Amino acid sequence: MAEPVLAGKAAEKPAVITETDFAEIVHRHQSMVYSIALHFLADAAAAEELAQDVFLQLHANLHSMKSDDHMKFWLRKVTSHRCIDSKRRYRTPQISLDEAPDPAAPTPAEDLLLARRLRQLVASLPEKPRLIVILRYQEDMSADEIAGALAMPVATVKSHLQRSLAMLREKASRIIGEVTI
Amino acid sequence: MSMDKDTSRLEDALKIALRREAVPHGFGDRVRARLVDQGLAGQDKSRKAWLRFFMPPIFAHPLVRWGTVAAVSAALVVGGIEYRRIEQERAEGEAAKQRLILALRIAGSKLQLAKSKVQGIQADQTENQQEKE
Repeated sequence: MAEPVLAGKAAEKPAVITETDFAEIVHRHQSMVYSIALHFLADAAAAEELAQDVFLQLHANLHSMKSDDHMKFWLRKVTSHRCIDSKRRYRTPQISLDEAPDPAAPTPAEDLLLARRLRQLVASLPEKPRLIVILRYQEDMSADEIAGALAMPVATVKSHLQRSLAMLREKASRIIGEVTI
Repeated sequence: MSMDKDTSRLEDALKIALRREAVPHGFGDRVRARLVDQGLAGQDKSRKAWLRFFMPPIFAHPLVRWGTVAAVSAALVVGGIEYRRIEQERAEGEAAKQRLILALRIAGSKLQLAKSKVQGIQADQTENQQEKE
């Protein structure tokens, strides 16, 4: 298997990155970037456009990437910031999680429906808590890593996470019932 | 305990719900196409890069640019006129100086002539007196 471009810590000064290398970088990280945007924006077309913008920005900043880990961190950070910016630019009327209407209770064994409803609940969270939940459960990032990416104190991240989970649990249990959650 | 269990179940459900999704078909090609477009736009920008390198950001506004050109042109015209005036004064001064030197030379030679004539007269008088004695 081919060695990834900028693999590990050794790539301090990357060689000239060819078009093929960049295509490989895009292929490696596209799902991560697109999914953060999709779960945050809940709009496939807007998520794709945002993901493309992120990769264009990456292309312009390739010279400053020190390693593959650094690139991953950079991509998560830039995607997160662009998500928040994009939501602010095209602000749509938001309702808080408490005010969100309860979806109808699911029929048993509807895992896909459960996932969809959870995504709807996550999408109804305020911007920063939503992003924190996405980075935590989609990217499996720790509170420290999220704090680094979003430039906010770790304690704030933890408190957002706890409050979001409490709200999601309450809503989810109302929707799905004690049996499933 | 039940709360922890609930949280754990919720967290598991969230991990499933927020799994990474596959990008739409042709995503990489569309990124590449946008890069090519951007590259073409970048080439056009680089043509003007030298201008930006020499020009401070304040000159980005056309009004400031044209104002500066007008001010520099006016300064050059006024400077040229002033230079010609000073040159003319200097030439006139030089001519006056030459005329004065010439006048002094003429006056000096006249004095020299008068002096030699006086000395000649004095010498004649002395000679005549000696002859009489």
